[in-house]
Amino acid sequence: MAVYKIMIVEDDPVIRTELKNMLRGNGYDAITVSDFSQTINEVREQSPHLILLDIRLPGKDGFSLCSEIRTFSDVPIVFVTGCNTDMDELNSIMLGGDAYITKPYNTAILLAKIASLLKRAYPTGNQEVIPYRNTLLHLESGRLEFHGRQIDLTKTELKILYYLYKNAGKICSRNDLIDFLWDNQLYADDNALSVNVNRIRDKLASIGLRDFIQTRHRQGYSI
Amino acid sequence: MNGKLYWKQKIPLLILNGAGMAALTVFLLLNGINSDSLILILSVWGAVLAGYLTGAYLLRKSQMDALLRLTEQLEERYLLPEVMERPARADDQVFYRLLKLVGKAMLEQVSGAKREQAEYREYIEQWIHEIKTPITAMKLICENHRSNLSKDLLAELEQITHYTEQALFYARSEQPEKDYLVREIRLFDVVHQAIAENRYLLRQYSVQIVLTETDDSVYSDEKWLCFILDQLIVNAVKYRTGSPKIRFYTEHGGNEVSLCIADNGMGITAGDLPRIFEKGFTGENGRSASQDATGIGLYLCKRLCDKLGIGLTAASDEETVFQLSFHINDLVHQVQG
Repeated sequence: MAVYKIMIVEDDPVIRTELKNMLRGNGYDAITVSDFSQTINEVREQSPHLILLDIRLPGKDGFSLCSEIRTFSDVPIVFVTGCNTDMDELNSIMLGGDAYITKPYNTAILLAKIASLLKRAYPTGNQEVIPYRNTLLHLESGRLEFHGRQIDLTKTELKILYYLYKNAGKICSRNDLIDFLWDNQLYADDNALSVNVNRIRDKLASIGLRDFIQTRHRQGYSI
Repeated sequence: MNGKLYWKQKIPLLILNGAGMAALTVFLLLNGINSDSLILILSVWGAVLAGYLTGAYLLRKSQMDALLRLTEQLEERYLLPEVMERPARADDQVFYRLLKLVGKAMLEQVSGAKREQAEYREYIEQWIHEIKTPITAMKLICENHRSNLSKDLLAELEQITHYTEQALFYARSEQPEKDYLVREIRLFDVVHQAIAENRYLLRQYSVQIVLTETDDSVYSDEKWLCFILDQLIVNAVKYRTGSPKIRFYTEHGGNEVSLCIADNGMGITAGDLPRIFEKGFTGENGRSASQDATGIGLYLCKRLCDKLGIGLTAASDEETVFQLSFHINDLVHQVQG
């Protein structure tokens, strides 16, 4: 999978650094601009896949930067701002911004917006399938395949398995799993997680896959 | 005009005239006038005096009544000195000038106070935008260093955000016309957003979230709606009981679609129910369960809903249900569909 390059144009140094770390922690390549008079040149040179653009910047504001960028590039632009007036939101749409997020933003929402914009702007086309041992996890259709036999998964079950597959071999704590589900707008509690994991085990058993998910006492689950 | 008082004030004049009549009578009798002529002279005097006084009274009364009527018709009554005619009488002119001066002084005071208020509101809005930068930075730092400690901090940060937003919307609710962006929004997108804004708070108190998701869309302002839902969620958490649970679902009725937020908290007593949307009202449970009930949250919700044309009702039975009713605009659907 290609690593997307995201450019952060933000004048607060702490937010800039932390945002960079956060994006890097989530599998993106993040670059920052610190000399705002060079923003346009940086965009030309680096040609990022997506730009996070603050509206209030020293010198030129985000709106004029956006219209300048639009003269030569269709790169997705997400406006990130502290002042959430509808005038600004309207402006950002009119000037060719793709999304508008207000501070203090929720990182889950920000990441979801980024992911969906990237998916729309750079369609990969191929069905995402994650292999592990003798199984295949089909993300688009929500199925798990084992020796040619398939089971259908609910949204929650799919997300749980996706997280376990992504972290195959590692122990995933119950808390992290629940966090991940909440990131995906599935509001499971401790109890619901246990119920879902047990249901997955039953389904797996029906296609002959036993003891696939291990319970680590007091720690979580692993595959 | 008070007629009794008017005539009371004419007593000195009447006494003076009476005295004049008496003096004339004495003078004429001493000069040997016959009684017929005397009666005639006194009658003429009396008639002229009565005629003059009555005429003056009626004229004055009609003038004053006209002024009173004019004042009542005016929407902005303080504008009276600007619209009334300049009076003809010398003493009336003094009052007219006084009225103008007083009105002008008052207008200056009011506009000064208005300017101060606007400046203060502007400052508050500015301040809120500025405080959001450090809040965002703190949130990001916590997210990048996830631990039990940072999760507790994130829950507190959500509270800070909640109160900050409340202050912003309070400052704005005075003149929100400038801040509308009505477009088609999917109700449950906003619900997800409002839940995400409070996820650490909800996790902290192990609140169970039950969604009956639909694809209903309405025409409204997303930001405001999210704020309203945020207030309702925080309230549900604040007044939670044993194992808290919040349900989100939609209802259809007539040409309305309603978003319902139901919680199994301590509820609202029947006596408090009619007053919960009043400013500063903290009900029985508000005062006992939580020290920080401000009586602002629901008041703001109602106010914003009124401006947006959303119906907001509350019911408290086994569950406490807040219902947001949106008109479905058939016309829009017809045009689009």
